[in-house]
Amino acid sequence: MSAVLEIENLSVRSGETLLVSNLDLTIGENARVGLIGESGSGKSLTALAATGLLPPGLTATGSVVLDGTEVIGARDADLVPLRGSAVATVFQEPLTALDPLMRMGSQIYQPVLRRRRRAGEPAARADIEAEVRRLLERVALPDPDRIANAYPFEVSGGQRQRVAIAMALACHPKLLIADEPTTALDVTTQAEVLDLMAGLVREEGMALLFIGHDLPVVARIVDDVTVMRRGEVVERGPVGTVLARPEHDYTRTLVAAADAFDRALGAAR
Amino acid sequence: MTAVAATEPRRMRASLTLSVGIVLVGLHVVVALLTLVWTPYDPAGMAGGRLEGPSLAHWAGTDRLGRDLFTQIMIGSRIALTVGAGAVGIGALIGVTLGILAAFATRFLDDVLAAAFDILIAFPTLLLAMLVVAATDSASLFSAILALGLAISAIVGRLTRILAKRVLEMDYITAARTAGTSWAGIVFIHLLPNIWPTLLVNFALQFGLAVIAEASLSYLGLGAPPPNASWGRLLQEAQGTVYTAPFGAIAPGLALVTLVIGMNMLADGLRDIGDPTRRRSR
Repeated sequence: MSAVLEIENLSVRSGETLLVSNLDLTIGENARVGLIGESGSGKSLTALAATGLLPPGLTATGSVVLDGTEVIGARDADLVPLRGSAVATVFQEPLTALDPLMRMGSQIYQPVLRRRRRAGEPAARADIEAEVRRLLERVALPDPDRIANAYPFEVSGGQRQRVAIAMALACHPKLLIADEPTTALDVTTQAEVLDLMAGLVREEGMALLFIGHDLPVVARIVDDVTVMRRGEVVERGPVGTVLARPEHDYTRTLVAAADAFDRALGAAR
Repeated sequence: MTAVAATEPRRMRASLTLSVGIVLVGLHVVVALLTLVWTPYDPAGMAGGRLEGPSLAHWAGTDRLGRDLFTQIMIGSRIALTVGAGAVGIGALIGVTLGILAAFATRFLDDVLAAAFDILIAFPTLLLAMLVVAATDSASLFSAILALGLAISAIVGRLTRILAKRVLEMDYITAARTAGTSWAGIVFIHLLPNIWPTLLVNFALQFGLAVIAEASLSYLGLGAPPPNASWGRLLQEAQGTVYTAPFGAIAPGLALVTLVIGMNMLADGLRDIGDPTRRRSR
């Protein structure tokens, strides 16, 4: 099985400060991998480095092979066709991840148009609009026509995140990167969006890199986890094993915190 | 509910401002177009006695050569609008292009462009106009438009650069890039629509300022030469007789003020309708 994303010895620096150090991570086709760690542990930077979109001022060394192409050191123009087709990303805060002045239907229209042109499929307006509608139905949005004509600020947070997922789906990526996609949502919506993503990843045959800090949330959707702390990998393995028998102190703390939270909830009930 | 109650009067005030702005500017546009085909009197010919006050025959009186002032003020509208539109057009084209370039550029080029904007803004517009007149060998409508256009391009460039930088930092730009949007796509699909409302307001404000600046240039003889009846030149000619025939200065002054106020009100009104997040949600 070939890998969609192969990260070897990746380090990210801001000047002298090491933000991610010697990270290895491989995601095979259809694999679902979780990347866990507290904020500032370098999870999101790893995801940005994987698509060659590190903010200016940060430098990456090592090797990132995305769908057979080396990302580090590549020209941006060479990466543009790779983004979307090889990888698409869903971000944490859907309100800022959607263009505020663009109707949401048009925001899904763009990636569909791009993908169809690349694939040489019919790209007539009616074809694309039909696909936009299908995508909105696919992410279980009620009343797709209303949503397509609405601006992001006119719908709820959960609906916005579904639109963002539809945008990512529109690309038909081999790998979906989800960077804390449920953190900005309330608990009920969180569960719904997670279940939706789990189903879509399975049905569309995408690989998934799920980034989060909340162990139970990540465990719900991935098979393997990698735990990061201060830019370094401290533990990795199948999610069941890591949860049941955490080897590193930091992972134990994460598991204990999650357990304590569960107990507190239980006591409150 | 309180939010709705608070925005309603504000919205009505905004639309009132916009309406008055449109009426004032529209009036000048209609008059300017009219002068292309018809004026009450021959602008260069004697139409009555010298320095007459306002009358039914001469609404704004006559100048010291006996020419009808109202005719000249009407032609002044055309000149003011031409200069305003030309200067803002040149300024917008150069300014928006360079501003976006600076926002995308490497640090060095960005610093160079930012410094260039700042220097050009600090440079007195009058001095710039004199340089342009010297470079083009004549004071003309074109030299005035060019000088004001350059001055405006620096202001627009600086504003565009700051607005574009702010937008480029937003998550939705990163999201669009991860989905494979090219740089051209980022600029035309996401960047320009998001900075456009603010730019448009600024263009309207710059238009008003350009009209005033053109009057100053013409007053100093750096604008359109006679017989072009620029308001600035009318004011300058009326200066010597302001005590005996004050209307010669008041009338072009009024014309200038109505156009500039109209433009500013238009800018204010546009600011409030340009952003869909300020529109009433359905």
